[in-house]
Amino acid sequence: MVQVQVLLYATLRSFGPEGKGDFRMDLPEGSKIVDLINKLGIPVEEVKLSMVNGVLQELDHVVAQGDRIGFFPPVGGG
Amino acid sequence: MGKAQSLALLTSGQMPERYLRNAGTIGVSGQAKLLNARVVIIGAGGLGGMIVELLARMGVGFLRVVDGDTFAPHNLNRQLLAKENNLGREKAAEAVKRVGKINSDVEVEAVNEMLGADNAEELLTGMDLVVDALDNIYDRLLLQETAAKIGIPLVHAAIAGFTGQVSTIFPGDPGLKVLFRNPGGDGKGIEVQLGNPAGTPAIAAAFQAQEVVKVLTGMGEPLRNKVLYFDTEYNNFHIINFS
Repeated sequence: MVQVQVLLYATLRSFGPEGKGDFRMDLPEGSKIVDLINKLGIPVEEVKLSMVNGVLQELDHVVAQGDRIGFFPPVGGG
Repeated sequence: MGKAQSLALLTSGQMPERYLRNAGTIGVSGQAKLLNARVVIIGAGGLGGMIVELLARMGVGFLRVVDGDTFAPHNLNRQLLAKENNLGREKAAEAVKRVGKINSDVEVEAVNEMLGADNAEELLTGMDLVVDALDNIYDRLLLQETAAKIGIPLVHAAIAGFTGQVSTIFPGDPGLKVLFRNPGGDGKGIEVQLGNPAGTPAIAAAFQAQEVVKVLTGMGEPLRNKVLYFDTEYNNFHIINFS
């Protein structure tokens, strides 16, 4: 297993445990970002940007021990 | 004072009094660069109204304000240019009036049109920089494509609820193709659900104004190939690098 820090923003926070936007999670080794999104029950189309350790990553990026992973919804207003 | 007098003073190394509080940050040469610059702002709503205000006060010498909409009561909660006594009036024309009261050094032009494929190139031609104050993803993608074609930088922001994002895109940068990849549906984001409270466009527009000043003067480091994402409900500010 690997443990990662998960950060959820705005509307995505409601998918965190007790609505929290900053928590830790254990995942099987080799898990991808999309696996984490699915495990949290977030519809994948609601995630516009996925950040791992400050860098944008694709959904098939494999997560590693200690990663800091953020998910951001689409923002379009002006 | 007018632009010619201000430029004459700047050329002789003196800062016009109205810009004295800019002096320590951008200096006489930076002020001259701003006063000689031409910027087009696409949208005169929540973001755009605030950007026009800030760039006029900074002394950006030419502003073209593009918006085909008129003010409505639901604009009053956040749009600086919206007032109880100008509801129903054209947003772009109201921006021109506002600038005229703030800074007579600034030439300002209203274009009462929405951005579209038919007018995008014309609106950006002759400008040094374009500011994205739009409210949907598809128009933004058109704006980036046009800015790249014309060869000018684009300062982007988008907002929703307590959150927003800001990024500066130079011709050829991936920019919004990364931030808005796989666009679908109506081209809107979570603002449909969360709306836009007053403080959020002010924050995002302030960052955009700083980006404009940095790019035009060559100061500092623009938010290039990265995005600033803020979520002020929980006091989060993140820089996300594209690679």
